[in-house]
Amino acid sequence: MTIQTEPLKSVSDIERTTLMTFLPGRIATMLGGRRWRRLAPLAVLVVLCILITIANPNFIELRNLVRLANSAAVPLTLAMGLTFIILMGSIDLSVEGTLSVAAMVVVLLAANDSNGNDYGWWAVLAAIASGTIMGLISGLVQTMLRIPSFMATLGMWFIGLGLSVYMLGGSAIRLNDASIRDLALHRFLGLPLAVWVAIGAFALAAVIQYYTRLGRHILAIGGDEDVTKLSGVNVTRVRIAAFALAGFFFGIAGVLAAAQLGQSHAVIGDGRLFAAVTAVVVGGTALTGGEGGVVNTLIGVLIVTVLANGMILLGISPYIQQTVQGLMIIAAVALSLDRVRLKIVK
Amino acid sequence: MNEGFSIRQVFEGKWTQGAIPLVLLVALLLIIEIAAPGFLTGETLALLFANTAVLFILATGVTFAILLGGIDLSIQAVASLASVMLAQLLPSLGFAAFPVAILSGLAFGLLSGIVHVKLRVPSFVATLATGGVVTGLALWVSNGRAITIEEAGREKTAWINATIFGLPMVVLISALIGIVSFLVLRYTRFGRQAIAVGAGEPAAWAAGINVDRTKIIAFAASGMLAAIAGVVLAARLSSGSPVLANQLLLPAIAAVIVGGTAITGGLGGVARTAVGALIISIVRIGMTFVGVNIFLENMVFGAVLIAAVAITIDRSKIAVIK
Repeated sequence: MTIQTEPLKSVSDIERTTLMTFLPGRIATMLGGRRWRRLAPLAVLVVLCILITIANPNFIELRNLVRLANSAAVPLTLAMGLTFIILMGSIDLSVEGTLSVAAMVVVLLAANDSNGNDYGWWAVLAAIASGTIMGLISGLVQTMLRIPSFMATLGMWFIGLGLSVYMLGGSAIRLNDASIRDLALHRFLGLPLAVWVAIGAFALAAVIQYYTRLGRHILAIGGDEDVTKLSGVNVTRVRIAAFALAGFFFGIAGVLAAAQLGQSHAVIGDGRLFAAVTAVVVGGTALTGGEGGVVNTLIGVLIVTVLANGMILLGISPYIQQTVQGLMIIAAVALSLDRVRLKIVK
Repeated sequence: MNEGFSIRQVFEGKWTQGAIPLVLLVALLLIIEIAAPGFLTGETLALLFANTAVLFILATGVTFAILLGGIDLSIQAVASLASVMLAQLLPSLGFAAFPVAILSGLAFGLLSGIVHVKLRVPSFVATLATGGVVTGLALWVSNGRAITIEEAGREKTAWINATIFGLPMVVLISALIGIVSFLVLRYTRFGRQAIAVGAGEPAAWAAGINVDRTKIIAFAASGMLAAIAGVVLAARLSSGSPVLANQLLLPAIAAVIVGGTAITGGLGGVARTAVGALIISIVRIGMTFVGVNIFLENMVFGAVLIAAVAITIDRSKIAVIK
């Protein structure tokens, strides 16, 4: 069956790529092809900063830049985790579910206004662990039940959301632990601690991607899963580890979000998946996998945050932000997909 | 793939896959009837159907996308936008607000389809993106608030809440939509081509089917049906809000999959979705009945979704599971 359809696929490939890549492909070639593509996100970021500064010089004030860094902290941490998943050519839609579970765990275990728990930083560890476990389950479901990751994680998204809303009893619970709140309130070298945590998460992700075997294997799977398997890599184990790693980052992000808001509630995760996917894709990591990385994502997060910040400075309705992000996803994916490798788009 | 134990073979048999949801539905009905005699009377059943109507209309739309092997993650956003448009436009446009709201859904469905097909973006990302675009617009149009349909507008939506021959109007609307969609999928060229594309895209392409057009039409249909669902929902609740339908994405997709339509495409249909929507609806009622906390509903549906996908998926069609 597979052998028979193979020539068929390649025929349709040639026909389609000539037809379909016409417009976006032409634009990309016009602007210098691959090399331009690689530098495009950085160029977009720089141009964006310059334009916003011209329109409103308040943008480059130190106070605004600190605010910018602060609002980038959670998306950056989330996007670090998501980058590894997208590098494999998969997707993790459970971002919001996992984040809300971690936020729920930290709020309920640390000092709060709902129960008598006061486990301090053990609560933070528990929250990160719960995020990791959620990721681990996503990975196990995807590989053991052999279902596509977007379905497995769609299920996990709502499992996480349901669990956290249930545990919170449908209400908002305040976080009263002063030392955890300090993540958002205390400053070191002018930046809130949450920003330093996010920078730490970025450094960790960079080390994992560029200097560990796991990072290399994730890239290899995204590049070509069959070849990776044939070279003796235990693909299943790498996939599970990658999802657990993503859950780990989502767990940290959940703690940061709870610390920043000073509470946890049912909608703490709303819109975070969207922002994270936008950041990863706009940064230039290909959805097909194997191309891009955490440095791209850093730039992507900055583009998304600068744009959001700029829109507020320019007095554009914040409600339209999601619309702009959606259009950015479409534009970025359309310009960056390596269509020659795509057989069938589903 | 050759672990030949019988349970797997039973699950993989085509007719059993179609029959299992139906058996499950009947079993669920019987269990509830035994637990609470009097459930299977005309009145409660009419109520059950009325509560399933919106979910069914949404799920019918996604059925088109899933039959093609794609997915539409923008339906809840499109439905919410339609509810906002209806509530916003009823005072000024009167009855014309209905077609405008529904056509907006058609337009965004078309957009999803064109982005997916022409720019070759995988459908879950394309529809995630258009869903974001639509949500942003809905928030912007409504200024982030819920809009109540006032007395004057309620006169124009009253027909949706009416009852005809003892049957709520919403049930008739969803039945009509179900029958039309069923006939379209079974007896029109588009329907047959959609199933062919879902069953095997390269073969469908080689057979001369305009794959791109088929896909775009399917996504447009999904968007339009989502908008109709939003309009019905707004009429029932007498309000439109940019987050009105947010809780319906997962149940709608779960209804399609639980009904026995495979996410790999080509297998399934509207009749199965009707069964799936009823199952989801009954499970929801049953959970309240048994005393499961309503906040846990999402958890149950998430787990059900994963289990149903694992059973219905046709693994021979995907070389590498990403």
